[in-house]
Amino acid sequence: MYQPLLANRYLGSRIIPLIAVAAVALCVGLVIIVVSVMSGFLDMLLNSGRTLMGDVIIRYADPGIPHYDRLIEEIESRPEALAATPVVESFGLLKLPYGNRTEGVQVWGIDPASFDQVVDFKDSLVWSEAPPEVQTFAAEMNGLEIPTFDESPRLDPGPEGGDPGVILGVEIDSAAKVRRMDGSYEVKAPAFWMPFRDVEITLIPISTSGALEKPDNRRFDVVNEFQSGVYQIDSRRAMIGLETGQRMLGLEEAPIYDNRLLDETGELERIGTYPARVQMILVRAADGVSPEALRDAVDLAYAAFAAKIDDEDAMTIRPPDEAFVGIRTWREQLRDLIGPVEKERELMRILFSIVYLVCAGLVLSIFWSIVHEKTRDIGILRAIGASRPGVLGVFLAYGLVIGLVGAFLGALLGWSVVVNINAIHEAMGEPAPSWTWITAFALATVMFGIAIHASLQGGMLRTLLSIVAALLLAGVGTALLLHRGFLMWDPAVYYFNSIPNEVDWSSGILTMAGAIVFSVLGAAIPAARAADTDPVKALRYE
Amino acid sequence: MNASHKRTSSETASEPVLVASGLRKTYRMGRVPVQVLKDASIEVRSGEWVAILGASGSGKSTLLHLLGGLDRPDRDGGMIRFEGRRVSEFGGAALNTYRNRSVGFVFQFYHLLPELSVLENAMLPCLVPNRWISATLPLLAALIGGGVGAVVGSTFGVDILPTADAPTPSKIALLALTCGVLGAAIGVVLFQIGQVLAERTRLRHGPQAATSRSTLEEFGLGHRLRHRPSQLSGGERQRTAIARALASEPGILMADEPTGNLDATTGREILDLLKKRHDDGLTIVMVTHDATVAEYADRVVRLEDGRVVETTA
Repeated sequence: MYQPLLANRYLGSRIIPLIAVAAVALCVGLVIIVVSVMSGFLDMLLNSGRTLMGDVIIRYADPGIPHYDRLIEEIESRPEALAATPVVESFGLLKLPYGNRTEGVQVWGIDPASFDQVVDFKDSLVWSEAPPEVQTFAAEMNGLEIPTFDESPRLDPGPEGGDPGVILGVEIDSAAKVRRMDGSYEVKAPAFWMPFRDVEITLIPISTSGALEKPDNRRFDVVNEFQSGVYQIDSRRAMIGLETGQRMLGLEEAPIYDNRLLDETGELERIGTYPARVQMILVRAADGVSPEALRDAVDLAYAAFAAKIDDEDAMTIRPPDEAFVGIRTWREQLRDLIGPVEKERELMRILFSIVYLVCAGLVLSIFWSIVHEKTRDIGILRAIGASRPGVLGVFLAYGLVIGLVGAFLGALLGWSVVVNINAIHEAMGEPAPSWTWITAFALATVMFGIAIHASLQGGMLRTLLSIVAALLLAGVGTALLLHRGFLMWDPAVYYFNSIPNEVDWSSGILTMAGAIVFSVLGAAIPAARAADTDPVKALRYE
Repeated sequence: MNASHKRTSSETASEPVLVASGLRKTYRMGRVPVQVLKDASIEVRSGEWVAILGASGSGKSTLLHLLGGLDRPDRDGGMIRFEGRRVSEFGGAALNTYRNRSVGFVFQFYHLLPELSVLENAMLPCLVPNRWISATLPLLAALIGGGVGAVVGSTFGVDILPTADAPTPSKIALLALTCGVLGAAIGVVLFQIGQVLAERTRLRHGPQAATSRSTLEEFGLGHRLRHRPSQLSGGERQRTAIARALASEPGILMADEPTGNLDATTGREILDLLKKRHDDGLTIVMVTHDATVAEYADRVVRLEDGRVVETTA
């Protein structure tokens, strides 16, 4: 069989196929990088949504869901649910201990133990011990007490009293620390390190009739910081204890008095109890249960819970009607955010599928010229008995090898860039090291020298190529010299504080297969032309 | 020309091995039909050396192309018979086999493949045979590779889908399909790599390699086996081309102006080489415009304006 032999020789002895391989590799690499970052972004969005919210969220804004502990019991009795946790939510003001800064934050009141069962909260806590720079600072400050960190931090004050605790999003405080490439934090200014300090939080309760009440301001110990990976959450959310949050927002259990009746002591008569309420219940699915199945189970659990409360006591505060309670999966909850990103990714996939046509066009034009150049070879092959399909096979094999090698090199390129994308981004954010532009200018000078030498010898091509290379190198050197670093991936815009760096291999394989198919298709037309070559005409003239 | 090179047809020839009668061939020059051959007839006996002599444009190369199966006569434009088989009625595959097995071509401009070595060029006809297995094996490799890819894709596809993509049956099917395409491409290319390695072994150690190597050594090219055509002189290239024409031990050698691109001395060397093979029984049909070259032949067929006008022994 001569086809593999000839395809191999044609590949190895010419520069044009190598250019075709490089073009296919660049196309494939480009698509893999773009789609991987988009898919990674979407994945991070979805994963973080699930991590931050559990699988299903029950939400009912003020005045909240009463008897929530019984609802949680009802939900946890279902095999589809693994755990559920109550959350109160409000916007408030956070007064930082330095710079007289006050920021608006989203405050969540949580029960750390059950919250951790639903969203793996412990894993998001940043500090397990004071970092060495803080310990050194504490020693220098004559025995400043170094805070210790519990796996289950105490947020609500115990019976002995004391300030409640708060866990701040790690990006709220930007003065004390900087984020390293690996996502960990280095404390640059230990004096401002949050766990050394107290903060003040102000919340405004809303009455059951919907009116604003007197703001409640309290001092909190910062017991830790958390990092969800979503910049918008990490820079705006503060976690306080559930009971503290309920108290500050007027959602705690409270007696109901009849203004018209006085008891024996002359006080208003207590006629009942307004149960404590929460605005959200987060539910985690049991292993193997989809969020949608869990949502259906939670729907049933809520209906059963509401029916039980109704049956028990006509006087009690009833839970809101199921129709007004939002029971959604995490994906549905984030629909407004996920939907556009999903559409953008699909749009990118479609737009970048044009790359396949580029591959086909490149291979077609290159093969057209190769077939034209190889007309005589084709004539020779036909003269010694090669069949038309045989000649077709030479060029199809040639196109296949170009497509396959280009696809794999492209995948390698895409993988290399995606895996190191944060390091590349970090390097782009810094001014270029001086050796880079010095080297570029030195090489440009050498190329100018070569150009002058070549022009003196009369070599036009060498002169032209040397001048182009020298100008390119000088341009690169100037760009590097002027480069002061720029931030492409702004966490404030893209939610996450790092660029997704995992390759979307499902899209990658699709891209590779597409590049191969279109390379072969691009080769097919010139190959068919080659097969149709009349050997007499091909051999007629030298 | 050395008269000792000449042998009469009666001394060497026997039964006609190639018979062509009433050949007509018309080309179109734009819209104008140009009849190049007009009822040309020729008969070549086994072991005979026939020279077709004629001026430029007389139709001698066209006649050679028809005889060698490179071209076909006009519809109802005569008959060509080789060893009793009607070549003019052959289909494409039979014609390919005829050119590969029965005929060896030598051209004025050598026509060697520049990417192949001297030995590879000389062996090329042995690599070309159109066997059904040659076409079937790459397809088999594609099927096996595609099957393995599809199975791998459908088995492990779920693991590589992003969280954002729910593993629906259609997505898994698409992934299996793309893995199948990738697997098929890998299968074919691996097969090709295997073929290249096998060909390399065949080119070094196979029986056909031994035959071609011995022919090239006989032609004084033993030290040039791994050289490329561009590294050879004109005479060496033509000797390589003759070795290629003889590789499949054809029944007849067809030479189109074999010395037309060579100087007189080298041309004589080439003709002596053909003469030696002819003395061993090789049947040769040679086209030339040079009467001194034609003197090497047993018989000269003179062609004028597409017609055989004279045959001289």
